[in-house]
Amino acid sequence: MSTRILTKADLAGLVADLLSAGTRVVAPARVDNPQVAAYRPIASFDEARLDGPLPPRSPKEFFLPPTEVLLRWQKKKDGIELQEVATEHPKQVILGARPCDVAAVEILDKVMGWDYRDELWFGRREATTIVSLACRGVDKSCFCTAVGSGPDAQKGADILLVPSDGDAYLAQILTPKGQALVEAHAQRFGEASGAEAAKSFREAATRKVASNLPIEATKLSGWLADNYEHELWKRLAMRCHGCGACAAVCPTCHCFDIVDEPEGIDRGVRRRNWDTCQAGKFTVHASGHNPRGTQNERFRQRVLHKFSIYPKRFGELLCTGCGRCARACPAGMDLPEILGQIAKLAGAGVPTGGTK
Amino acid sequence: MNLYQPYLMRIEEAVDETPDTRTFKLVFQDPKVAESFDFQAGQFGEYSAFGEGESTFCIASSPTRKGYIECSFKEAGKVTGALRKLGVGDTIGFRGPYGNRFPVGQMEGHDVVFIAGGIGLAPVRCVIWNVLDQREKFGDVTIVYGARSVGDLVYKRELEGWAKRSDVKLWQAVEPGGEAPDWKGEIGLVPAIVEKAAPRSADAFAVVCGPPIMIKLTLPVLEKLGFSEERVFTTLENRMKCGLGKCGRCNIGPVYVCKDGPVFSAKELKALPQEL
Amino acid sequence: MKELRQIAAKLLTDGAVKVVIGWEEGPRGARAAFVTRPEDAERLIFDARCVQNLATYLSPRRRHVVGLGKAAVVAKPCDAKAIAGLIRESQVKREDVVILGVRCGGVVREPTMPASLTAETVADRCGICETREPTLYDHLIGEPQPEPPRVTRREEQIAALMQKTPQERFAFWSQQLERCIRCHACREVCPMCFCEQCVADKTRPVWIESSSHPRANFAWQMTRVMHQAGRCVDCGECERACPVGIPLNLLTRYTAQSVEKRFGHKPSDDPSIAAPIGTFRSDDSQEFIR
Repeated sequence: MSTRILTKADLAGLVADLLSAGTRVVAPARVDNPQVAAYRPIASFDEARLDGPLPPRSPKEFFLPPTEVLLRWQKKKDGIELQEVATEHPKQVILGARPCDVAAVEILDKVMGWDYRDELWFGRREATTIVSLACRGVDKSCFCTAVGSGPDAQKGADILLVPSDGDAYLAQILTPKGQALVEAHAQRFGEASGAEAAKSFREAATRKVASNLPIEATKLSGWLADNYEHELWKRLAMRCHGCGACAAVCPTCHCFDIVDEPEGIDRGVRRRNWDTCQAGKFTVHASGHNPRGTQNERFRQRVLHKFSIYPKRFGELLCTGCGRCARACPAGMDLPEILGQIAKLAGAGVPTGGTK
Repeated sequence: MNLYQPYLMRIEEAVDETPDTRTFKLVFQDPKVAESFDFQAGQFGEYSAFGEGESTFCIASSPTRKGYIECSFKEAGKVTGALRKLGVGDTIGFRGPYGNRFPVGQMEGHDVVFIAGGIGLAPVRCVIWNVLDQREKFGDVTIVYGARSVGDLVYKRELEGWAKRSDVKLWQAVEPGGEAPDWKGEIGLVPAIVEKAAPRSADAFAVVCGPPIMIKLTLPVLEKLGFSEERVFTTLENRMKCGLGKCGRCNIGPVYVCKDGPVFSAKELKALPQEL
Repeated sequence: MKELRQIAAKLLTDGAVKVVIGWEEGPRGARAAFVTRPEDAERLIFDARCVQNLATYLSPRRRHVVGLGKAAVVAKPCDAKAIAGLIRESQVKREDVVILGVRCGGVVREPTMPASLTAETVADRCGICETREPTLYDHLIGEPQPEPPRVTRREEQIAALMQKTPQERFAFWSQQLERCIRCHACREVCPMCFCEQCVADKTRPVWIESSSHPRANFAWQMTRVMHQAGRCVDCGECERACPVGIPLNLLTRYTAQSVEKRFGHKPSDDPSIAAPIGTFRSDDSQEFIR
């Protein structure tokens, strides 16, 4: 599709237009701690921090909330009455999300849509237009290039913004949804220019990230499937607490629990809540038997699900290389380092980083 | 209606099989659902006790019997505890049918051996009746069923009925010490009874279900008896939540048990990581 | 460091222990190391980036670590307090662990920070910590350490919160706990959260709902903090692990202050000191329990 230019002033105007039309705009924004940004709904463009620090949590919660109501029930004289929840959602625009975060949403469409279509997920997907922003690379824990993506990847985005000359962004319109947004706000978008500056931004960012972990993680799935009992798994997760902070911040971790909670003596709700395969109770049978009884086994499950099970089933990795798991881990478990070790064993690229 | 919205079902009958195991006969409240609902032997559902949550069990009745479904469950946790307190006339939720099936069609013209332990008879019973309701289409039918004690045997009335049939060979067993004074069946563990029963294996199918350790010890016996691992089937009882291949809980190695299973052949089982 | 590596290597060579739990250099700063071969003792480091409380790994819940066999553990004074807590509460036997005490001049807030301590980088808890060396150890390692930079920002924040009205405080915590996603990372990393089954995981009945909504989030944190009263050694791991950045140490620290005021109990690395909770005394200061 086509390319346009969007100045920062016009972007601010676009946000104002969207907000005044009642569209929710979610962007990386200031929070009480100045060192941190978070994806949250903004009330004006001033609150956004498009070039600020990486928000510690991905925006997956705007598609799969940490907790959401699946149904309500009420006891009546002649039985139970169920109340359905809405699967249509008000319009929202996610603005300035990192390409790694945005790619995750498209990856998750696969599991949410195979055979059974999860309307709660797709209801939000359909109501959302995603305007991503090419990233300059955050730190040494970034490894998007190793998972076949990149700091300027288009996957999942309706429009990709790339920093260009001065205060302007080059806007690549990628989908009909993106096109519709541009058409509805045509006066905000100008004729494309500054392609050179955008190109050099992209190249510099890609170079920066690529040097972090020069492997091809897409080639690990065979080795992982064949080396289930490898000695590596017996020592890899020693320091892992199974706290699940990695899954909480991960843009692609999507496992959930379903629970009933009372809302009174004769009524209640059923909710789905984020859950994680790192929790010991995740797989415990009612009998008390746990097929995945130790943290080593649980950590192997996390790696396999992302780099073997999901790609074999759905054709793509369940990881976008954002590095959040490594940054969030209180015990120093480091997925890029571990992928480097596995790549060495699997012969899929040679890691050069300074790690063991 | 979204995926997680259950059908409402009325409990038509409730039978206590053992002190902690109960069977419900369930009918759909909505006559249109009752009419269109169809399932295959081996499929499962998510049963809800409203206010407590959902629990996963197979459909224990046969698809040849229309207009209702049955389920049997053992009280083990929060949801099964709440379900057990419900009785005739009460409402429960049901989502399903989910998962794959036993290849009953392929079994036609062949001998079929059913092997079950404890509450594991529930999914096997579904296939047993599926076969017995079209008895003429199958070869010899052998059933080996064991439980910890006489009191732990489920579907006692049906066991009596099968014992009387001349077209079914039934071996019943309890573990040593689990017998009653008038016990006429076998005493021993299921794998040993299977070995003793030694059913004919040529072109035969076997359906095995029970505690993980029973399955683990029975499969080698069947192999020794000459059963083809492609014709031995079991059903896995992994913890599940959604039943729809979304929530990630039942994943073992490359399979989602709720979608690729719960029925697996012994050959498929061997290829899976030993996370059972 | 040389001394630490030598002792660790000797313990492994002699077969006195199967694993030495210490710190090593990781991609994002110092992190836990599990050394099982004498030659790998060279990996061990100790400096002000060694933030994590390693006592957590001694808890019987860590089956994959316990399975390695008898452990030696490198312990800062605050880590030694946690080890003492585990011994005090019969989770670990003193003879089952070799404690390599290290003298400590405070640590930084995050292991990714440079090892030099400044008022800006020093961990809040170290800013008020008066313990430079543990008393619970089998080997005491390292030179005497200087005082860390004295900072009282956390104590001031607690004092400021306590100046507020209950409604204002409730509003503050409502805003903070709104972010909680009930991942329970705070519990999993805590050296003193050693329960085999946590009350938050119990389902018959459900004492604390598992969803993240205000009712359940408050119930969870209140329960966690109350269960840690008199147990918490102020290692700060819960707050550091929290993926949504809730200032959990304000809660645990205030509780510790209350326990000290009411029961005269401070976290200690003497396992023989009775825990204020779980101890019955006929001369208890509270009338209802006597």
